[in-house]
Amino acid sequence: MIEADMVLQRCADTRYRNIGGEGVVVRQTAGEVLVLNEIGVRVLDLLETTMPVNGLLDALDAEYAIDRATLERDVLAYLQELVDAGVIEPVAA
Amino acid sequence: MAYTDTLQRTWRENILFSVLVELTYRCNLNCFFCYNDPQLRGVPLTTEQYGQFFEDLRELGALNLTFSGGEPLARADFFTLGRQARELGFVVRVKSNGHALNGRLARRLREEVDPFIVEVSLHGARAETHDRQTRMPGSFGKLLVNLHEMQALGLRVKLNSPLTAWNEAEIEAMFTLADERDLPIQFDPQITPRDDGDPEPLAIAPSRASVARLFELQRARAAARQTDREPRPTDTAEVAGSKHCGAGSATVTVDPFGNVYPCVQWRRRVGNLHEQSIQTIWRQSQELAEVRRLAVEVKQAVSQHGPLGFGFCPGLAEQETGDPAGLYPAARRLLDLRRQPAH
Repeated sequence: MIEADMVLQRCADTRYRNIGGEGVVVRQTAGEVLVLNEIGVRVLDLLETTMPVNGLLDALDAEYAIDRATLERDVLAYLQELVDAGVIEPVAA
Repeated sequence: MAYTDTLQRTWRENILFSVLVELTYRCNLNCFFCYNDPQLRGVPLTTEQYGQFFEDLRELGALNLTFSGGEPLARADFFTLGRQARELGFVVRVKSNGHALNGRLARRLREEVDPFIVEVSLHGARAETHDRQTRMPGSFGKLLVNLHEMQALGLRVKLNSPLTAWNEAEIEAMFTLADERDLPIQFDPQITPRDDGDPEPLAIAPSRASVARLFELQRARAAARQTDREPRPTDTAEVAGSKHCGAGSATVTVDPFGNVYPCVQWRRRVGNLHEQSIQTIWRQSQELAEVRRLAVEVKQAVSQHGPLGFGFCPGLAEQETGDPAGLYPAARRLLDLRRQPAH
């Protein structure tokens, strides 16, 4: 479960490029490719360095005209999807 | 979103996505059918130039970087370049003959370069056949040992097999060899002239009957496989769109001397990295603009022959007929075979 105080990073075995606003992620170990939407691209661009979830939420809050509660609910759910898909992971404390 | 949609977009919008780098034409084998031009001369790119090139590719958004040759591991700074490619976040592929990839080198490759896949050449199911094509006694036995060690280290390995008159009697045995080791295998039924036009390799082109048998076997194996899955980076995707292929639109090939081509088989020079950066070539080369225009024309011309999935290559067409849409002999044969109903 993703919590706001967690720190996230892109998984080491992934390779990623922003292809004109679409994110292509290759999971090397699994041999799979994923294509991410605009939000996914923004999240992975922000995670070029490790970042706390709160920092991600603040950055996205400044960019999207949506109320904070909805943003947090949707983004946390999306981050969990990315964790489940093996794209990002929490940094061990 | 589907991966094929993204690939289609790279072709349509000229987004450089995949780059093949021929690091050297030196090789520790001497394959009879090798398409490299051994007489090609020039100033090899330095380690520093490759470093800048990789940085530029990353800035352009390229994801896939394939090291080829010759034998890419024959270049002294191979691991330096491989580490750099890894650090820059490329999906690295290595096309090797596998001869030198013993346990020690394979381990270095795994730990330092971490390639997505290593593509290794298999020339037969028996030592006599494989070694005849490589002209290196003992190469078959060494390859089998090295394959085992690479797999034990967790490297993803794929076999590439050019179909020839010398190995065509062993198609089934080569499939079996691959299956027993849980390795994917891809046959190339087209033997091509050398890049300098020398037709000598065509002397061992496979027979029409063997290519037909290969297609039958491939159809049967494809039907037996699960097909309702998303494409993977190891797949060769069929991409719909206005262009025949992504040569020069989503891909380029670079030879050891910095010459840039639309793809490994379309050897029409569109720039040189000694003279210009890849960004300049990609955005401003008139020759590349012409290739992109031709890719549309080729699709229109080839579509008149029926279904396009018969492996038509504009690069080979231009080399053999002078016209990138010309129906060269091997394409004519493949087209005839594809038109035959499956048995």
